[in-house]
Amino acid sequence: MSTDVLQKATGLNFELSEEQQLIRDSIRDFVERHVKPGVKERDTSKEFPHDLVKKLAEQGFMGMVHPEKYGGGGVGHVSFCLAIEEIARWDASLALTVASHTSLASGHIALAANKSQKEKYLTPLAKGEKLGAWCLTEPGSGSDASGMKTTAIKKDDKYILNGTKIFITQGSVGDTFVVLAKTDPDKGTKGISAFIIEGDWDGVESGKKMEKLGMNSSDTTEVIFEDVEVPEENLLGELGRGFVDTMKVLDGGRIGIGALSVGIARGALEESLKYSGERKQFGSPIGDFQAIETKISNIATEVDAARMLVHRAAWLKDQDKPFTKEVSMAKLFASELAVRAADEAVQIHGGYGYIKEYHVERFMRDAKLMTIGEGTSEVQRMIIGRELKKEFWG
Amino acid sequence: MKFYVCIKQVPDVDAPIQIKNGDLMQDTDRMVLNAYDASAVEEALVLTEEHGGEVEVVLVGPDKAKETIRKALAMGADKATHITTEDDVDYDSAVYANILATFFKDKEYDVISCGKQSQDTDAGLAGGMIAQHLDLPYATNAVGLSIEDDNLIAKRQGDSGQEIIELPQPCLVTCSNDMNEPRIPSLKGIMQSKRKPMETTALSDMNLDESALSAKTKVTGYMEKPEREPGQKFEGEPDELAQKVANLLDEEENVI
Repeated sequence: MSTDVLQKATGLNFELSEEQQLIRDSIRDFVERHVKPGVKERDTSKEFPHDLVKKLAEQGFMGMVHPEKYGGGGVGHVSFCLAIEEIARWDASLALTVASHTSLASGHIALAANKSQKEKYLTPLAKGEKLGAWCLTEPGSGSDASGMKTTAIKKDDKYILNGTKIFITQGSVGDTFVVLAKTDPDKGTKGISAFIIEGDWDGVESGKKMEKLGMNSSDTTEVIFEDVEVPEENLLGELGRGFVDTMKVLDGGRIGIGALSVGIARGALEESLKYSGERKQFGSPIGDFQAIETKISNIATEVDAARMLVHRAAWLKDQDKPFTKEVSMAKLFASELAVRAADEAVQIHGGYGYIKEYHVERFMRDAKLMTIGEGTSEVQRMIIGRELKKEFWG
Repeated sequence: MKFYVCIKQVPDVDAPIQIKNGDLMQDTDRMVLNAYDASAVEEALVLTEEHGGEVEVVLVGPDKAKETIRKALAMGADKATHITTEDDVDYDSAVYANILATFFKDKEYDVISCGKQSQDTDAGLAGGMIAQHLDLPYATNAVGLSIEDDNLIAKRQGDSGQEIIELPQPCLVTCSNDMNEPRIPSLKGIMQSKRKPMETTALSDMNLDESALSAKTKVTGYMEKPEREPGQKFEGEPDELAQKVANLLDEEENVI
């Protein structure tokens, strides 16, 4: 638990701490100076921005929530949300890189690794010297991890890992992979374990870059594991506990996706506010027409609501309190809002919204991943429903 | 070397300005470190990184201004002094200069620096006034600083060239924002800033007499910029339009 979120005041308090404000302002300055310029070009070239990631690492933003003794920033998830929102305001692809790197591969190691694994693997990840890729999804299985086909079969003091993972963020630029595989294929989810694998080991191969609708400068590939020899000490967490840890990692990851969604929605809102003040039709700014004003007011209200849901989930995590239901609610609401807000922003921009000279068409393409990645909206509703039934039906 | 940098908290210039009944409405949630002072902090950090020494920032302002001190500490300043005032004071440059000069009277330093002006008033007076009070050699509007044989070398930008001024230390210099690009605090810097020494002195404990704290000038009101009158629009065929414009320039405006 970090100190920056521990408020002295009891009860509800909506004010950010001085430290949180400083973090938000610093990342905002960073984004204005380094991220906003060139964002359209990066979307078009679809190249991974190694230089920006290096700069973010120098500023300490590639491992904010991890402990300082392992090279991290030692701040809480509320601060993390502030940073992700600021980056996503302009560049959702970059925010996705930071969020997935921090919460998934690094997050799983921070959660389940032993001390020597943390020293060896978490430290360079948290410092941003190395990039992490988390390998759960397969062509035939996503949130239903029990259908996983990848296997890790014990042979002497090694595991032999075989399988294909798909939609892997940082799949080709990643250095450290956390891979979920069945160690006991007959035991369903109880037979799943996690392993830390180094990208340059024999048998680890990144497949071709996937052409996507959006999130273009984030790296998404297949990763193929063929007879990869994994030393026993690279088993991450307990044998057969990989699925349980995965659920926890996903809960954590959804905080980042929520914050990212808020960032996209805020971008859509701010661009719409700007445009509707400048664009004049029938003698007045279109923002003075009630039809446009209504759209903007609705988005603004929902952006605030989404941010509060996301911050509450982050706060609960920092307090070590259960947050599975709350983070699914936050991710569900924020991601669907991102799609809605980006759609409205394109509508408000009219013809200009449909062309790449303006930012909002990119927001629209990027936003759609939010309702899909780290559990679709449908899966979030399943989780919320399951948690509600637990609470009320026992 | 010991660097003192005077910093000020000012309203964010990106925030929309509102004037109501001759008063300036300020959004107190949007207060920032004066950009010129940020350049002064940056340059002090660069020089002490190169030559050794320490950077201390000094701020005169209300309690809320502590967040601005935190920012300077997060950038890398070693320590800070906060001279606290009431929330609503209408000090002019002369008062700020009196307070700061009193603070510096018994201090030892090599260089005092500050922004060439602050973004809220754009007065640009405090630096010179402090130097006057302390009888220090001083230079204004520097775009570059360096140290040579115990002298501070200040570079000033002119229209057609640069002026290089040598100042024996101790001295005072005011900094342009063209000097550098102030660093953005890193997360590590932000976390370390909490542990850096920040001394708080109440202005009321500094024993300044009433005249030193009375503004010599007073802002009597604020007015919005008058709206520009719309220009004339002409419609018609190109040769007609050209004729009309030519006539206008020739006969009414006497330009041709």
